[in-house]
Amino acid sequence: MSPRTRQILEFVLDNLVWFMLVFVLVVFSLFIPNYFQLGIFANIIEASSVLGVMSIGLALVIIAGHMDLSVESVAALSAMAVGILFCSSGIGIGVQLHPDWLMVPVSLLLALAVGGVIGAFNGFLVVKVKMSAFIITLASYIWVRGLVLVISGGRSAQDLAPAIRWFGIQRLIGLPLTAWIAIACFVVFSLIMAKTPFGRHLVMIGGNETATFRAGIRVNRNLIIAFVLAGAIAGLAGWLLAIRTSGATANLGVGLLFNAFAAVVIGGVSLKGGVGTLPGVYAGVLLLSAINTAINLMGLPANFTQVIHGLLVLAAVLLDAFKQTIRQRLA
Amino acid sequence: MKRILLSVLGILALAVATLTPAFAQSKGTVYYMVPTLLDEFQTGSVSALELFLKQVGYEMKTLNADNKTDAQQSQMNDVIALKPKAIILAAVDFNALKPSIEAARAAGIPVVEFDRQITSTPSDFTSVAGTVEIGHVAAEQAEALLKAKNGAVKGKILQVLGDPGDPYTLDIQKGFEEKMKAFPDVKIISLPAMQWEASNAGTIVADQMLANPDIDLIFSHAAHLSVAAVASLEAAGKKPGDVMLMSSNGAPVGLDLIRKGWLNVEVEQPLYAQAAAVAMFMDKVVNKQEIKPGDYDVLGLKSVVTKEAWGPNIKIPGAAITKENVDNPAFWGNQKPPTDTVKPVE
Repeated sequence: MSPRTRQILEFVLDNLVWFMLVFVLVVFSLFIPNYFQLGIFANIIEASSVLGVMSIGLALVIIAGHMDLSVESVAALSAMAVGILFCSSGIGIGVQLHPDWLMVPVSLLLALAVGGVIGAFNGFLVVKVKMSAFIITLASYIWVRGLVLVISGGRSAQDLAPAIRWFGIQRLIGLPLTAWIAIACFVVFSLIMAKTPFGRHLVMIGGNETATFRAGIRVNRNLIIAFVLAGAIAGLAGWLLAIRTSGATANLGVGLLFNAFAAVVIGGVSLKGGVGTLPGVYAGVLLLSAINTAINLMGLPANFTQVIHGLLVLAAVLLDAFKQTIRQRLA
Repeated sequence: MKRILLSVLGILALAVATLTPAFAQSKGTVYYMVPTLLDEFQTGSVSALELFLKQVGYEMKTLNADNKTDAQQSQMNDVIALKPKAIILAAVDFNALKPSIEAARAAGIPVVEFDRQITSTPSDFTSVAGTVEIGHVAAEQAEALLKAKNGAVKGKILQVLGDPGDPYTLDIQKGFEEKMKAFPDVKIISLPAMQWEASNAGTIVADQMLANPDIDLIFSHAAHLSVAAVASLEAAGKKPGDVMLMSSNGAPVGLDLIRKGWLNVEVEQPLYAQAAAVAMFMDKVVNKQEIKPGDYDVLGLKSVVTKEAWGPNIKIPGAAITKENVDNPAFWGNQKPPTDTVKPVE
């Protein structure tokens, strides 16, 4: 194999998920009526905003060699906290701040704080008390969703303050501002992961925690920051979720965790830690969203959609495994 | 000091004596097995059943299965061991709970099925809204709305189902499509909002409004799904009335959407009446007396008790809520429990 061919092949393998995305979009555009239109592509980006943001936090922790199963429930709790305070119907108490725009930073800070606190709690138990991240965050997944139920009483908060809801309605170059927030998050965190010592240290910790510690890097501090960030980012996802649905229900975001895991894995992040980039994760999120949109447009019988969704995700993961095999042969 | 202590003890004794008759009046404890507390109908059912059962002399305890069949099976086993006066079951899974119902009845504990009808094994009483009938009512409303808009019953309907694993939504779909078959010029697009999650419904509506911009009517199988649908319509620049909307279950958020002009019709699942019917017949259930078939008045709604293969079954019709009657306190979505006391059926 010539060096040039090898170079091209490696480029394709490094960005396989993007090629898969393009392939899927072309196939769906050709075979699904009404799929090929700008509005649908904008919908794909918009629909992926909540999942995308949540996947960033999850990816950070997984790249660092751990796991955070609580992100879905944390997003739901943040959404409910924002909903209860800033919604005017249902259980919303309709808090009004003056000037109106003040509600945006306050609600955002609230969502980030809710997520950050739970992230810090998870991080403390995992890093300081040396407990399994899987168990601790699984417990948080359960008790945080329970807390949503407790504070909401199973009821919903609706009619989010227009000043906050504005982000879900206003569009910039055809995309709602919520989608731009998600894109901005991916850009910022991709740069953090690629260009800052913190990002590089997370990858090193995920690759070999002991070696990284011996190299003089503050492993514990970085890991706790990763957990706090994952929680706060999940809080942001909850804030976006509340904006998108104009409120919060007790079951808001149910099932997002598994989609976030699928997106992260499809995006090339290794569940063993130490491998993965955030642009790849974003491509994974877009791929899932493209599949969901295709299912929505195909109008298949309701009981088949979950099977098809699962099979398409499986196909994407198998393709990713195939990529690893080729990469090993190239090495 | 001694005197003060004696006085306090005396007051306490008096209070206990005063309260004792209230406890003495209690006819026993009934357990309610609620499938989940993540939706407003289920949460509302707990308070409604508690209220009405108290009026007829029973205490109620609730166990939440969190939508998990195995958890509900274990709860049933535990409750059977506690020997309550009766068990009210809203089953997570109809078939999986059949052995538990049989075990409870074999242990002499009557089982009342609430909201979710199980026909594969006998039970002591069933109180349901008639989900297929809710679909029928929805179809009648859709017929009227399309006729008013297009001059004839023609057009396109987007039907946003709940989770495809939930018979509640499948029955409504069945009833709705059954009736709409009479109108071949109406195209129905049906898509599920997995796990009844609102943002899934929002995505479906956003996608479909692009793929089928000529959609006349969106019918969501729960009010909270309509809220997300409205959010998507709003984001697409639509105003109230641009697209007709309809949903079923009558939750408070649905009634709010009617008041705001977004929702045309909400087909109510008569929560209060369903719960009141259970209380009305509880004495007969507990004492294993015969429940006679026929017409009954349940909170002003004409309801029919029939003798089915699985036991006595009361079906209470759902009502259509529109702008004209939205403030009627009889609708559970207005959250004003009926002031009239429920009386046991003689």
